[in-house]
Amino acid sequence: MSARSLGRAPGVGGRWLLLAVGVVVALLPFLWMLRTALGPAQSILGLSANPLPSSVSFHAFSVVNSAGGFTRAMITGIVVSLVIVALQLLTSIPAAYAFSWLTFRGRDALFGVVLATLLIPPQVVAVPNYVTVSALGFANTRVGLALPFAASAVAIFLLRQYMRTIPPAVLEAARLDGLGTWRTIRKVVVPLTMPAIATVATFSFLMSFNEYLWPLLEARSPDIATPPLALARLNNASGGVPDFAVLSAAALIISLPTLIVFALAQRRLVAGISGSGVDA
Amino acid sequence: MRDGTERRARSRVADRAWRGRGVEGTTRAPGWRPLPLLVPALLWLTVFTVGPAVVSAIAAGTDKTLISPDFHWVGLDNADTAVHDPSLSHAVRNTLLYCVITVIPAVVIGLGLALAASRLSRGRTAIAFALFLPASANLVAMSVVFAYMFNDQPGSLANTVIGWFGAAPKDWLGDTSTALPVVALVGLWRLTSFIFVVYLAGLTSIPTSVYEAAAVDGVRGWARVRRITLPLLTPSTVFVVVFSTILTLQTFETVSVLTQGGPLDSSTTLVYYMYQVGFTGSFRIGYASMLALLMFVVIALLGMGGALLGRRARRRLSPDETVSDVDPMRLERAVTA
Repeated sequence: MSARSLGRAPGVGGRWLLLAVGVVVALLPFLWMLRTALGPAQSILGLSANPLPSSVSFHAFSVVNSAGGFTRAMITGIVVSLVIVALQLLTSIPAAYAFSWLTFRGRDALFGVVLATLLIPPQVVAVPNYVTVSALGFANTRVGLALPFAASAVAIFLLRQYMRTIPPAVLEAARLDGLGTWRTIRKVVVPLTMPAIATVATFSFLMSFNEYLWPLLEARSPDIATPPLALARLNNASGGVPDFAVLSAAALIISLPTLIVFALAQRRLVAGISGSGVDA
Repeated sequence: MRDGTERRARSRVADRAWRGRGVEGTTRAPGWRPLPLLVPALLWLTVFTVGPAVVSAIAAGTDKTLISPDFHWVGLDNADTAVHDPSLSHAVRNTLLYCVITVIPAVVIGLGLALAASRLSRGRTAIAFALFLPASANLVAMSVVFAYMFNDQPGSLANTVIGWFGAAPKDWLGDTSTALPVVALVGLWRLTSFIFVVYLAGLTSIPTSVYEAAAVDGVRGWARVRRITLPLLTPSTVFVVVFSTILTLQTFETVSVLTQGGPLDSSTTLVYYMYQVGFTGSFRIGYASMLALLMFVVIALLGMGGALLGRRARRRLSPDETVSDVDPMRLERAVTA
């Protein structure tokens, strides 16, 4: 069969057109958010779809700032997410090492169980977890926000996949040098697994910071609201007459940390996902 | 690290060692040694994932509410209620519609964008970054922004745009025919970005030597995409379809912020209905648990089916067959991120 008869892939022009449309659509909500947040107050009655705001003002940001608790929600969100990342790495790295390099009875079955937990929808476990966290006395606390997420099956899985590619000779050398299990992990395994650890940490931060359902159940008092929760409350509190400039400013603020983390980690993420450097 | 051959060789050694076929240097551990490594993670997963799933499955057989401490064992009554619950079948229909109009376009567009971006020689990083952004966005924040863009007033962005074509302003989120599609649009916007990431990673892991061989055989253009790239991307495709379906089945935040399931339940999805049953009205947590259990069964079947298909796809791409240069380890990793 002649390959030519099947036609050619779209040329450079077609590719750029597709990508240009894709980029515009991907960025539009962000740009719309930015444009509205920097503009004057936008009530329902005076909506304008001008691409540029009629005047630039930081009025919306000062309203959000004084709207009580938004700054605190940001701090809560960032601290809780960082704690979750740290705990997940602390629990997952040793477990991933055991699953990838130690031989013990029932290992594969146990790993199968860990994988199977990935199939349990978060909505299913939310209510029993609320009962557990309450029983431990952490309901409506910041500790309670992080507690259920201290271990992660995804993290264990991704780290194990990566650790399996460590050459056995390296671990053998570590053993001959008299390194015990923990020191092998610290001095040999962790440095060699850094790309995967960076990937796991980034995803884990994004997931934790954006988590909505669990804080909705757990954080009853506004004092410990996480950013998405604070925004949802601000949105609901505005009732039928929202000032979209204020809501956009709040949305922009809570998007910033994840955007920054994402921008910083982007290159590494691609490397971690594809298992190779970003090809030139 | 970048040397593909070396890496593949290493990963094959690792694979053999991992399967316990006795590569010299495999760390052999006495029975107790793995315990301290595993206990924290496994304890946590047991207490906060496996245990709750079991508790939830038991609660599904009771008439427990969050209002009263009393409850009774009702056996399969909740399952019976579910079968005859018109609101549930309505929510299931909405969810399936949502899945279809989100997943299929997202896979097609995501693949197209990844194919286009992977062949760029300049500007790839910047474009990839822009296209990655929706996947990292905060859903509540984006729902608020979309609610503004799709406001019912004549001056909203969506109404301005349809106004250019002479259409009258629509009450996008307040109309039973447009509420669910607008919610799905947010899902599509985000999902496409995620799928793009996975496909781009999958494309990055295809060695250039495959393309060089194809060029020698005169295979290029669409033929190359169809006969070489797409087959090699099968593991990514299986993962993307299964994972996206599972994700969309669990849609909650967007509905909660944009429409609260309205108007007239026209945008109530399965998980949002579950939330309404268990956490509003009469707080029927027993019945909500039954709904959760049913959803778990569906998701577990999808997940296991996907894992099987994925393994078959990867095996078909094993090093001994026609495409000799593909490292299954890499593909697996590309597929699982």
